Amino acid sequence: MRTLKMRIWIATFSIAALFAPALAHTCAAQAAPRMPGELAWTIGYDPKTFDPAKVDDQESELVRYLTAGVLLRFDRFTQKIEPQLAESWNLSPDGKTLTFKLYSGLQFSDGSSLTSKDVAWSIRRVLLPATGAPVAEEFLSPSGVTIDTPDLRTVIVHLPQRVIGIGKIFDEIAIEPASRPSEGRVTSGPFIVAEYRRSQYVRLRPNPHYAKHDASGHPLPYAAGVRLDILENHEQEIRLFEHGEYDLIDSLPPDYFELLKKKTPSSVRDLGPSLNTEQMWFNQAPQAPLPAWEKAWFQSRSFRVAVSQAIHRADLARIAYLGHATPAYSFVSPANAAWYDSKIVAPRADVAAAKAGLANAGFRFHDGVLQDSAGHPVRFSILTNAGNDARLKMATLIQQDLAALGIQVTVVPLDFPALIERLMHTQDYEACLLGLENVDPDPNAMMNIWLSNSPNHQWDPSEKTPATSWEAEIDRAMNRQASSSNDAERKQAVDRVQQIVADEQPFIYLVYPNVLVAFSPQLKGIQPAVLEPELVWNAESLRLEGTR
Amino acid sequence: MRPAVAAVKWLARTLAIVFLVLAGSTILVRCAPGYLSDAREMDSRYADAARAELSAEAARSGSMLHMLSSEVSGWTHGNAGISRQYGIPVFELIRPRLAVTGGLLLRSLGLAWVLALSAALLSSAGRNPSMLWQIPATVLLAIPTAAMATLCLLGDRGGPVFVMALLLAARDFKFLHRALRKAWLDPHLLQARAQGMRMYRLLVAHVLPATSPQISALASLSIVTALSALVPVEVIFNIPGLGQLAWNAAMNRDLPVLLAVTMMMAVAVTLAGMASDHPPGWRSA
Amino acid sequence: MRVKLFAAYALAALVLMAAAVLTAPHASYSRQDREAPFAAASRKHPAGTDALGRDRLARVAAALLLSLTGAAVASAATTAAAAGIGALAAFGKAHVGWTAMLICDVFLALPWLFLLMMVRSALPLTTSPASSAAITFLVLAALGWPACAQAVYRGARNLRNSEWMFHARAGGLRSAQMMRSVIPNLIPLLLPQFLVSIPAFVIAEANLGALGLGIGEPLPSWGGMLLELDNSATLFDTRWVYFPVALLITVLLLLEAAAGEA
Repeated sequence: MRTLKMRIWIATFSIAALFAPALAHTCAAQAAPRMPGELAWTIGYDPKTFDPAKVDDQESELVRYLTAGVLLRFDRFTQKIEPQLAESWNLSPDGKTLTFKLYSGLQFSDGSSLTSKDVAWSIRRVLLPATGAPVAEEFLSPSGVTIDTPDLRTVIVHLPQRVIGIGKIFDEIAIEPASRPSEGRVTSGPFIVAEYRRSQYVRLRPNPHYAKHDASGHPLPYAAGVRLDILENHEQEIRLFEHGEYDLIDSLPPDYFELLKKKTPSSVRDLGPSLNTEQMWFNQAPQAPLPAWEKAWFQSRSFRVAVSQAIHRADLARIAYLGHATPAYSFVSPANAAWYDSKIVAPRADVAAAKAGLANAGFRFHDGVLQDSAGHPVRFSILTNAGNDARLKMATLIQQDLAALGIQVTVVPLDFPALIERLMHTQDYEACLLGLENVDPDPNAMMNIWLSNSPNHQWDPSEKTPATSWEAEIDRAMNRQASSSNDAERKQAVDRVQQIVADEQPFIYLVYPNVLVAFSPQLKGIQPAVLEPELVWNAESLRLEGTR
Repeated sequence: MRPAVAAVKWLARTLAIVFLVLAGSTILVRCAPGYLSDAREMDSRYADAARAELSAEAARSGSMLHMLSSEVSGWTHGNAGISRQYGIPVFELIRPRLAVTGGLLLRSLGLAWVLALSAALLSSAGRNPSMLWQIPATVLLAIPTAAMATLCLLGDRGGPVFVMALLLAARDFKFLHRALRKAWLDPHLLQARAQGMRMYRLLVAHVLPATSPQISALASLSIVTALSALVPVEVIFNIPGLGQLAWNAAMNRDLPVLLAVTMMMAVAVTLAGMASDHPPGWRSA
Repeated sequence: MRVKLFAAYALAALVLMAAAVLTAPHASYSRQDREAPFAAASRKHPAGTDALGRDRLARVAAALLLSLTGAAVASAATTAAAAGIGALAAFGKAHVGWTAMLICDVFLALPWLFLLMMVRSALPLTTSPASSAAITFLVLAALGWPACAQAVYRGARNLRNSEWMFHARAGGLRSAQMMRSVIPNLIPLLLPQFLVSIPAFVIAEANLGALGLGIGEPLPSWGGMLLELDNSATLFDTRWVYFPVALLITVLLLLEAAAGEA
């Protein structure tokens, strides 16, 4: 007996010894070796393109932000337009002519000189329909735009019509060497794309000819490079951050924020409400494959207001976000100083008022179940995307909140493509809970959401004519803010839209999630901003101090 | 049967499987909700670009029959198409990942079988086999793979091979223990033991030969389990392998990549079946 | 034998206890105590509360009854299907076996994830959480059999070719009679398959939550509670997150002991 057991043990250990290297191969092995002075953090997926003109996803946009030289930069911290490659710029009073004066002696990263010819070529490339650049749309009528270059340092752009926030558009146009598009390999920004390994990392190295210097004349950027690891998994990201493999994390889920806060309180920062909103809405589309009586509920203002009044937003923020969110009643967040309006009157949590409102609208309670005037029990489903913990929690909390009104809610998490198909194509859903990311504080960027004929007018997409008078009024107010050059008038129009939305509740705003970030204490020069990219908007001024 | 005939038969069977899998996967993926939608449609900045890509895809995949025939003809010409999410040829995407996943699979399967076999031999050979061996195996089966991987990350111990091997070993052990136990309790073996025949001799001459068909029948079960554990393990440990790719492809409805991955699944499964049908020749002992 | 009996009684006691917890006067698996999310154990909540302030003990008890029944039934169904198809393939005509194994191979390679998505989109969105759970276990049972059927087929084919089978056939035993003596010989394969499938189905159900299937809120899902373990942030919040997995291990060990595995 003993001999057999011993033999088996010995055999096991000797074979296991062969596998020892496999076991020693731990999880950190995939992080590429870090170069001295290199910054590192993660992005969620592979950038779809490195061509700055063709950027149509968030991670490509980050790479463009870090590599592209632009005429004007929208400062994420001060929220103002600052000249970058341009020494100065001005807009004619009719808003149709822009004049840029370039700095002298500008160079691309390969040492070739940067002139107005390159600028004109880069802008024209973006405007060309063949390029398919998403930015072109923002010029409203890109085909009518003409560009003059009277000398090597002057660029004049003629627009066929006034464009609101024209300066910000140039924040998205990379200046590349004329006729030599390089997919980020030759740039006029702080970094250049040095290496890309699909599904592993993107490596950037500093542009040796970058024009900017710090106050003491030291050339920027400070960092010896940037490595963006492609990593979807927060668990890994946080572990590697704790090990010093990553210098920062720019969007922490609340539970991981709390975890890191327990371990290293100095590394995390709650920057307060973001510009983003989380909201719920009912499907009001007349073509939706829903029973007529359900459509009638969803199109009823009293019903939507009652639902909004039944939701305890403070609980959502406290429980679903562990306190790292702010109750929301409108689409403009308090973080958006220029556009926030504290005077908006919106339905607040008040279950009694909700019940009274429903009774007035013909609903009645029968054995604890809410019924409409025809006797149909009120029940519906709330869709949300699977994998978002906070949203699922909010939906479950709302489920109980609405049970207090006698409404039976089913929560259905779906994977993103299946969810989008229902929202955008089949309209086969009752209610949906999702978030909206606002990268631009100017509400003009939300035109697509508010204009009734837009496919992104979520509660009733692509209306031929506004379905209701209030939607027509929103259209008018949004168009007014888009055509006016007077800031006060624009603010007034946007305030009006906010009040209509608060009254009608097509979107039931729930919370503004807070911006939660983490960064290493060794990372100097950091100035967290609420706008994306929150921590690395001033990447050229970031540097690591001390050894790791 | 002559080997040549057998080889032709096997080839015909494999081809039939590959064709059925190709057709079946195409239909499943194409008919799944969300094939013609994209998360970027919700973002007004990127919506136009996304819609343009979708309408191109809609034109390409309008008729199921046409789509099927183009996929089949593509594959017969050795062209697996272009990935929808990465925009590069599928083979280029898969080649580096195949080695990663293959290595992971082979190492964890090997380790798992060594662990499971030796544990099962030890546990079944004893006179009064205790729960001592069953408990750890049950514990390993009750913990979700993802949780096991997270615990490894937290403890900074063990990697993907470790997690996969433990999981597979626990499963295989459950089967092997039963099979071996039954062999040890055979009347003629009990008699031989009573007569004082040495355990080692019994094992090599009787137990292993008697159970080898059953053990080899487990091979395909084991490989199928390993394939299904690949996705969570690769996703959590962030290993650039086929499991991770398959997951991303499924979430992005990347048909060409999914087809290539299921093709490889089909080949792996038929190979596993072949391994099961031709057990190593223990009978000689 | 005594161990078997004890295990069976212990299992029954566990189920009764779960039922007792649920029928207690103020027990509710869905009521949210919003003042006490992630609370520690107290008199009111003997096992603390979860992230939404729901009583963990009541949730685990309800999940035990719901998921255990679902998983055990699904596991029994899939094992029976595997045994039936595997044995049929082994003892039937050659081409039946060939076709059955071909189907198994194709089945194993197909991306069933998409079928599950289609199932979800075919169901009305307001399908109640309980029926969604039942459908999920049904689908799991329907998809789980091929790998095991192949192993059964190989095992049964070896039996068929064994000496005593030749004798039996020569002695004029009919197929049905032979099957009766074959099934006991397949137990070493089928019993572990049944036992191993139970935790696998419990967890698979929770993973299908991502597709809108599975046990919907506010019904508690055992698998969902197990998956809390893969978030290191919750691991640090309370020790009670290990409670569901400890219970699952206990149940599995008792099941094994009752089945005579020990």
